[in-house]
Amino acid sequence: MRKTLPWLLWIWMSTVMVAAFFWAPALSGFVGEGESSRIVYFHVPMAWTAFLAFFLGGILSAAYLVRRTARLDAAAEAAIQLGFVFCVLATVTGAIWSRIEWGAFWNWDPRQGTIALVLLFYAAYLALRSAVEDHEVRRRLAAGYAVLGLVVAPTLFWVVPRLMTSLHPEPVVNARGEVEMDASVLLLMLASWIGFMALFFWLQRIKVHLTLADQRRDRLRFERAEVG
Amino acid sequence: MSIWLREAAAIFAKDWRSEFRTRIALNTLGLFAVSTLVVVSFSLGPLGTSPLGVAVLPAVLWIILLFAATAGLPRLFVAEEETHTATALRLAARPTALFCGKLLYGCALILALEALTVPLFLTMVQLPVVSPGRLILVLLAGGLGLAAGSTLVAAMVAQARGRGTLFAVLAFPVLIPLLIIAVALTREAVGGEPVAVSLTQLLVYDGSVVVAGFMLFPPLWNP
Repeated sequence: MRKTLPWLLWIWMSTVMVAAFFWAPALSGFVGEGESSRIVYFHVPMAWTAFLAFFLGGILSAAYLVRRTARLDAAAEAAIQLGFVFCVLATVTGAIWSRIEWGAFWNWDPRQGTIALVLLFYAAYLALRSAVEDHEVRRRLAAGYAVLGLVVAPTLFWVVPRLMTSLHPEPVVNARGEVEMDASVLLLMLASWIGFMALFFWLQRIKVHLTLADQRRDRLRFERAEVG
Repeated sequence: MSIWLREAAAIFAKDWRSEFRTRIALNTLGLFAVSTLVVVSFSLGPLGTSPLGVAVLPAVLWIILLFAATAGLPRLFVAEEETHTATALRLAARPTALFCGKLLYGCALILALEALTVPLFLTMVQLPVVSPGRLILVLLAGGLGLAAGSTLVAAMVAQARGRGTLFAVLAFPVLIPLLIIAVALTREAVGGEPVAVSLTQLLVYDGSVVVAGFMLFPPLWNP
């Protein structure tokens, strides 16, 4: 089972990619006769995955503050690190697309503003983790900061969009323009999202195993040094 | 409850008294704010008399306040760690009472800073204020948020190394939403043009950070 799941994921994502380029219709209102719209099958699911990863990281950190187990801390750290990677990928793909569609890599569109600030917050989280030597203190402080993220991030989503005018295309996600809301588009986007979420959980599992194995090795070395 | 209040009041009084003996925080905050102010008004001149002033100056004012607060507020807990009195604090008061006392002290410092900086700033750049009452409300609510976010982050960084820089790195992302709202509301108060955010949103942000502080402080402070 553990051997077959990654292969299933590979087949799934390959199918999504092929479908995104050859099966899905090109959306109207995008440059290049709609061909540039194909990025939504990767960019949007990656952004969703990143935000779910950050949310999960916050919840796991809160759980860590209650239960104080090394596994919960490792899980929270892995979730936020991977969320950061997905968030950077979403930002970069968004910027490239923005260059093609709006003419500049950065326009201070509300979502670009929000994503920049969210990236800043979780970069600070990673900086905090590397600034504390003591394992126990590091876990405690990092967990506290990640829980604070659950307070800060919603405010960003709620404030920044009000203060900037949006250029973002809504019709794919929100049913505002019902003409462009195609069933196959939504289906493919959900399929892609499921793929990215599976990828996230798979990588997170590996990361947690690695962290715990590292800690076990350090402990064994320490004990051996004490005996010797 | 009354013991809890007495503990919080004692922490506040202790910090305030030791501050008046050394005046480190007040001097740092005040001097920092005044020197930034002089630089800004020297290079911008009476910008407030031109229509551009309303667009630019509120952001400049909050940047000055943020940086001055960053210069003074980390001392809230760092000083305790440096003089090795943090353990005594852990014994003397319950964590929530301690947080409340420190938060009150941080608020007092920010209010003193605002009382010094804002009138000076408005006069030097000659910025007319359309609704002074609203400006005062925004300054009070914004100051509370600055103090709450900084107090919590100061408690965190006191236990880490590279405290000064780490404080800025951790505090800015937490304070940015607050500053975005506060700048927009200040613009409204000085220019009279309505903006898309309201004072309620600022207060909701303050409230959620204060509540998060009271919930997060005990596990962060008591190992």
